[in-house]
Amino acid sequence: MVVTWRAAALMGLGVVPVLLLPANGTVLVWTAVVVLVCVVDVVLAASPRRVAVQRRVPGSVRLRAEATSELVLRNASGRRLRAVVRDAWGPSAGAGQGRGRSERVRPASGGSGRHHVNLPDGEAARLPTTLVPTRRGDRTAGGVTIRSLGPLGLAGRQVTLPVPGRLRVLPEFASRKHLPSRLARLREMDGRAAVQIRGEGTEFDSLREYVVGDDVRSIDWRATARRREVVVRTWRPERDRRVMIVLDTGRTSAARVGAADSTGAPRLDASIEAALLLAALAGHAGDRVELVAFDRTVRSRVVGAAGPRLMPAMAESLATIDPVLLETDWPGVVTQVRTRMTQRALVVLLTSLDPAAVENGLLPVVDQLSRNHTVVVASVADEEVAGLRAGRETVTEVYDAAAAARGDLERTAVTTMLRRYGADVVEALPDDLAPRLADEYLALKAAGRL
Amino acid sequence: MTVTPLPPPPAPTPPAASSGGRTGPVDEPPVVIGDDSTGRSRAASTWRRLRWPLTVLAAIALLVLFLAVVRPPTSAAPYAPDNPEENGGMAVAEVLKDQGVRITHVTTVAGAVAAAGPESTLLVTPSPKFFADDQISALNRTGADLVVLGADYAMVAAVSRNTIDSTYGEVDGPVPPQCDDPAAQAAGEVTLRPGLYDVNAGAGGDAVRPVLCWPDGLGAYAYARLDFPNRSVTVVDDPAVIRNGTVLDEGNAALALWMLGQQEDLVWLVPDPMDVSTGDDEPTPAERGQVNAMMPPGSAPVALVAVLTAVLLALWRVRRMGPLVVENLPVLVRSAEATRGRARLYRAARARGHAAAGLRASTADRIASRLGLARSSDATSVVDSVVAATNRPSQQVADLLYGPPPADDAALAELARRLDILESEVHRP
Repeated sequence: MVVTWRAAALMGLGVVPVLLLPANGTVLVWTAVVVLVCVVDVVLAASPRRVAVQRRVPGSVRLRAEATSELVLRNASGRRLRAVVRDAWGPSAGAGQGRGRSERVRPASGGSGRHHVNLPDGEAARLPTTLVPTRRGDRTAGGVTIRSLGPLGLAGRQVTLPVPGRLRVLPEFASRKHLPSRLARLREMDGRAAVQIRGEGTEFDSLREYVVGDDVRSIDWRATARRREVVVRTWRPERDRRVMIVLDTGRTSAARVGAADSTGAPRLDASIEAALLLAALAGHAGDRVELVAFDRTVRSRVVGAAGPRLMPAMAESLATIDPVLLETDWPGVVTQVRTRMTQRALVVLLTSLDPAAVENGLLPVVDQLSRNHTVVVASVADEEVAGLRAGRETVTEVYDAAAAARGDLERTAVTTMLRRYGADVVEALPDDLAPRLADEYLALKAAGRL
Repeated sequence: MTVTPLPPPPAPTPPAASSGGRTGPVDEPPVVIGDDSTGRSRAASTWRRLRWPLTVLAAIALLVLFLAVVRPPTSAAPYAPDNPEENGGMAVAEVLKDQGVRITHVTTVAGAVAAAGPESTLLVTPSPKFFADDQISALNRTGADLVVLGADYAMVAAVSRNTIDSTYGEVDGPVPPQCDDPAAQAAGEVTLRPGLYDVNAGAGGDAVRPVLCWPDGLGAYAYARLDFPNRSVTVVDDPAVIRNGTVLDEGNAALALWMLGQQEDLVWLVPDPMDVSTGDDEPTPAERGQVNAMMPPGSAPVALVAVLTAVLLALWRVRRMGPLVVENLPVLVRSAEATRGRARLYRAARARGHAAAGLRASTADRIASRLGLARSSDATSVVDSVVAATNRPSQQVADLLYGPPPADDAALAELARRLDILESEVHRP
């Protein structure tokens, strides 16, 4: 049972008879009239419990991209359905106003996802609501609330139906804008004649005729002797190397990074961007990519996906991971890498260079990894700390800058220790981490260190 | 474009199926009709939700009712006839009731004026406030016998027509009445504080002369009585005479019963401090606390309509379109909080040495890497390289990078500024 503003207006109209006949009895009679009319209106309203509701939601959508949640309403009540229908979604699903505009469905004010519906008996209508999700992960819909009003629009009945709906919000992968340039570099490396570096791991590709500019050291004299012209060997970067991306979802990944005047985003989100760009690049380069998200147990895993199936699998498995407020179990990470990677591989640890956490967690075990694999530690730096470091205006800011400088020194010490143990370290601001990590990968590939 | 009549439902949903659940093929999202509730189940769930609050409310109501029925109404107001405490007057009031005196307990002057009249006694107990002049005159004009206890000088002067006045007296033991007033004779010796004196003492005249009893030897009396042609006025300075705690001392009880039991009716005024009524004439509406008397006629029903409209508006706004949708929110801890916390610690401890060392080491580290020095380079080689790169005096560079800690905050800020300048002067060799 609900009343609308019209019921209040009708009650307010009672001023007229009361002014004509100023007595408390008049008020009583008018109130009785209003109550009676409202009750009749409720009785004449279509039953919201006899409306068939179906919610159609796309399976998944990329973060900040637009999706449409569509309610299909079929009026089986035996009466004309005049109702306000709310397609309820959580705040971070970013539901907007209803979109439909016709004589049967039009957007209603008062909140997101609301529609005015005027539906004859036995007919159906679609009620579209735009969703622009603002958070990664599974966004679950709330119920569908139908407020069915009587013919006078004074009062009505309301019910909230538990209509299931779930929208999986995939990572934004904003770093994909860096992919074309890195792929171009990859192709350059791939097609490069006579790779300068002839260290272990570079693969022999083919022989071809010498052209001016080729490195004379790459001339294959044996082949030249067999033929008339001078022949050089060409090399290409290794393929089918293995890349393992380890995403640290422990407590340090929950901290928010970003400019001081924004809420920022969890460190994990920047790590996910970097992981996606690296996976896309390595996938194109023909390497086999695996991913594990780990804190004290495996939160998510991508194994054995290659080619066109790689990126959807990555996005799907990275969509639902959230930071866990636990200390990461680094010996467990080593075990994970050992069980998955039996031969030499590139192991990328996406974590944070928080000195205390690294000293107690990663540092004691990193040599076990770097003994058998190429290890890259990638960490998200904080823009706010960078801002603190430059502050000189007041004494307070100078103290902030001193604290930031001290933090830098400690991080530098940790980085030095990690490098001493044989790991490469990439530290960059959230937006720069993905391209920097991609560059690091390309550099390692060019150097034949994979 | 958004309204597309769907193909008719495969089977028209009969009313009985409205309580049924979800149907639909496997790939299709389920179709929901109703929420599996009936009128009976909804009523049952409402009852389940409300039964405990209702039970508690009913228990509280029963308890209040029980207490109201069982406990005799008593008050805590001093000198009130229904106050059984030390400072109350219930003892005297109960005895008087047993003797057939009808007691009317009032708290306003208007009430006293309305209840008192000839053939009755009006008792004015000590007041926590001063009566206004018109209130005193109203009390004085009721025609009832007046008994005034512990009154202030204005009251005493007014009720005695300026024949007696308040004073201060001391008493250190029972005193005989030393007058021929029958009440005083009946009471005998009392220990009441004498606080009244005769204004016209010694002067003759045909004015009504007060009868004064229990003198203290210095001209102060504890009791005064004036007999006017059709009423009497009795003034006792010490209210202990009717107080529960002291009424049994010496002759207090006899004096109290004698004073208050003269008439069949006794009006017992325990003044309310907020009372401003006089009871003189028809009270104004504002005094009665009625606002609508100042309004035009008919405004009360209109106000009622306005209130009911407001109630309906509230009902309209208070009903939400369904429940809130809950969502797990991520933690909101900024990564920079650790750095800020450390800065606050430095500041709170005035650790200028630590702060300066951090700034210096950080600058030296960056300069060293820019100049291509090894991380393990010692201070001398860093200073030498910087001197070579900037043409600054060696002592100045050494002071900047490895000098003593700054003396105060201003020196720290200056050091940070000069380190910045030094760093900006160093370029890649």
